[in-house]
Amino acid sequence: MKHCASLLPAALLLAAPAFANDDAIAIHDDTRTAYTQPIPALADADRARFFQGRSLVRQVWVIPPSENRAIAGLGPLYNRISCIACHGNNGRGYAPETADEPMRTMLVRLSVPGKDPHGGPLPHSAYGGQLNENGVPGVAGEGRAEVRYTYRTVKLGGGEKIELRKPTFRFVDLAYGPLPRTLLTSPRIAPPLYGLGLLEAVPASTLVALSSVAKPAGIKGRINFVWDTEKNETVPGRFGWKANMPNLRQQIAGAFIGDMGITSPLFPQENCMLMQTDCAGSPSAGKPELSMEQLAASESYHFALAVPQPRNTTIPQVVRGKKLFEQAQCTACHVPELQTGEFTKYPALAHRTIHPYTDLLLHDMGEALADHRPDYLASGREWRTPPLWGIGLAQKVDPRAGFLHDGRARTLLEAVLWHDGEAASSARIVKRMKPSERRALSAYLESL
Amino acid sequence: MTKWTSTFLLLLFSQAAVAAEKVVVISSYPQEVISQFEAAFEKKYPQYRIELQWRQSRDAMSYLHQPHSPADVYWTPAQRNFAQLAREGAFRKLDIDLSGLPKRIGGFQISDPDGYYVAHETAGYGMAYHPAELARLKLPVPSDWKTLGDPAFDGHVMLPIPSRVGYAPILIDTMLQGYGWDAGWQVLSRIAANAALADAGATFITDDIGSGRYAVGMTMDFFAVSAIANGKPIRYTYPEKVGYSPAHVAIFKESANPEGARAFVRFVLSDAGQKLLFHPDIRKLPVRPAVYRAKPVDYFDPFAAAARATYDYDTASGLQRQELVSALFDALITRHHAELKAMHRALCKAEQKAPGDARLTAARRHANWLPLDATQVNDAALQQRFIQRNEQSAAIEKQWDADIAMHYAEATRIAQSIAGDLP
Repeated sequence: MKHCASLLPAALLLAAPAFANDDAIAIHDDTRTAYTQPIPALADADRARFFQGRSLVRQVWVIPPSENRAIAGLGPLYNRISCIACHGNNGRGYAPETADEPMRTMLVRLSVPGKDPHGGPLPHSAYGGQLNENGVPGVAGEGRAEVRYTYRTVKLGGGEKIELRKPTFRFVDLAYGPLPRTLLTSPRIAPPLYGLGLLEAVPASTLVALSSVAKPAGIKGRINFVWDTEKNETVPGRFGWKANMPNLRQQIAGAFIGDMGITSPLFPQENCMLMQTDCAGSPSAGKPELSMEQLAASESYHFALAVPQPRNTTIPQVVRGKKLFEQAQCTACHVPELQTGEFTKYPALAHRTIHPYTDLLLHDMGEALADHRPDYLASGREWRTPPLWGIGLAQKVDPRAGFLHDGRARTLLEAVLWHDGEAASSARIVKRMKPSERRALSAYLESL
Repeated sequence: MTKWTSTFLLLLFSQAAVAAEKVVVISSYPQEVISQFEAAFEKKYPQYRIELQWRQSRDAMSYLHQPHSPADVYWTPAQRNFAQLAREGAFRKLDIDLSGLPKRIGGFQISDPDGYYVAHETAGYGMAYHPAELARLKLPVPSDWKTLGDPAFDGHVMLPIPSRVGYAPILIDTMLQGYGWDAGWQVLSRIAANAALADAGATFITDDIGSGRYAVGMTMDFFAVSAIANGKPIRYTYPEKVGYSPAHVAIFKESANPEGARAFVRFVLSDAGQKLLFHPDIRKLPVRPAVYRAKPVDYFDPFAAAARATYDYDTASGLQRQELVSALFDALITRHHAELKAMHRALCKAEQKAPGDARLTAARRHANWLPLDATQVNDAALQQRFIQRNEQSAAIEKQWDADIAMHYAEATRIAQSIAGDLP
């Protein structure tokens, strides 16, 4: 794979340059709506489609039958009634604080041991691949997942202490029979929606190169290969907490069917399992309910969502934090700079220099974060490196925004301290830092 | 940390927990409103879980008139639906404490006098503007609707079409009631001459004002005020006579969970519920005056404004004639927008060239001609024909079109004659 070395970003593993994104695809905006703005390069011809897509993402969907066919199709089983119910202001979700609080911006994936015909998780025979807490009238919701926390104080360098919380989940009000002890589960908060088009525009060859390059401290990184329903073949995965989706269109269509029960050309079957007879007998709003034109508009909207530019980059504490971030080898996975390639789906995103702080690869993050639920090639301990761009605004967009796949981390520092496995060395370095160094590191992350 | 992994990773399964009772709420509120109220209500009343069924106004009426699973609460901005459903006996009388909740804002009736539904919040009508764009154009911040009719605003205004944009009918009718029938249409005609017409669709007026594409837009306050609270570079101002569009809440007679329904209604009307309306993503106007003591800086207080300038808007009349007025707007403005703009430009030129010319009176008479007068528009039989536009209403509109085209053409011809623009 040496011939791929030239494809690697020059900054990989080295001191990174000032990380401003290409001005054509990023915006200077530090408000609560920073994740909702179009790229400056949005062409007038794409403007109407952007706003059409925005309408669909903001739409609260209607239970059929309805006079409003274009916005009908919710259910029969669903988690939430709109995209932004989970992705408020296009931001990330959060975990409930108590067992009483419903999962409003998170869900639980389900499967049983084994693989589906394409190598993906094998759905449970009664509950499918995701716990849908709600049903339309006449269809029982599948049940609820309750979260409880245990807390532990961790000692840090310089005498500081920090409290971490670890969630456990329990299923209640199960409507379709008991769940087996062998059930595999994966709780996941809603990820943010911006910048995804740029990540899709990163060539697969870059992923191959990133996975091949030698990295420090036992860090590896590998591509998840997943099923592309349109191409009918296995391709590199890059979206989702385990990189289990190949592209944005399938990610969106997957969320429509999985989270809202809305069928689309990619997933034309309602989300009813065989024994869910009430579900199967419920009216549908169309076959499919979301047209290809609507799906394409939604995809186009996601393509055109701009990334917020970093802020406060010249403040000494932030500059120091950036250096510490590099010294802790965070950039080995949170790769600061990538180049997009040819991208005929949305040419405005092609050949851009971007700073997503991800390699889109899977990494073993250790036992404490493991969900023990394989997802294609991703093991129960592996997670995709989440992009960090714009993450400093997450709690401005929603003060409750959480971090890590299950929202257990309430701050970015907590998220860092949960790192283990391939990232154990980085986490150790951060734990040993002086308090002022950790504050600088946090300030840097907040600036992204 | 390794200690945790061995102790707590086991997932427990149970069916023994007590399920929260659901409260079925029908609404057309945007997700931002739903999310805030759902979370706050369920936190205060963990024994209840909201099941929100979203339906737009017409769809909701169709749904409720067919056999359906029982709903508990209707909570939405849809005045006409509430009035009709109350007439049909669909609601229970609200047996909850409504003290501290006035039924009127100044002269505006906001709650049902008979007590079957009550206002939960209201929105006001005014103007969103882009200060930097106004400054660049050397235009003043508008103080009243009439300002937007000034020729200096030509090309810089957005005016929503009432037959297409859900919130616009009351905006238009408050102008017609506020200025009077004839004068109101004259103001609207002048504004339309300067304006781009905003259709239903995916863009918001605040998108176009925020981007500086237009300098001023006539819109409901919360669209703009929420955008301002979230950082858009725009401002919002109310005219002297503010119109309001209240949203209501009621409990269905068919409610399967009346206790839960009452809890929800009590909550949305409570101090805590009303203060949620101040959230940056919502920015609606509470109907409980006492909560304005805790309002954000510069938040509009309709009760204080009403005390300064009384304005008796006849809500019942406005709702009854809504479709008829919208149809008239389409004839006078939407379908003849190009002719209307040309006519006003010609009139303006003629007035500048020969302000004392006696022919101007005739030209203005043609320009201001209306197919219906203030009495005819309140004719119940005529209003009924426009509730659902059909062949009968189409025939009437066809005649309006012909008459309006003739009058606009004549006004333009006279004006051009005065200005010396005719061969």
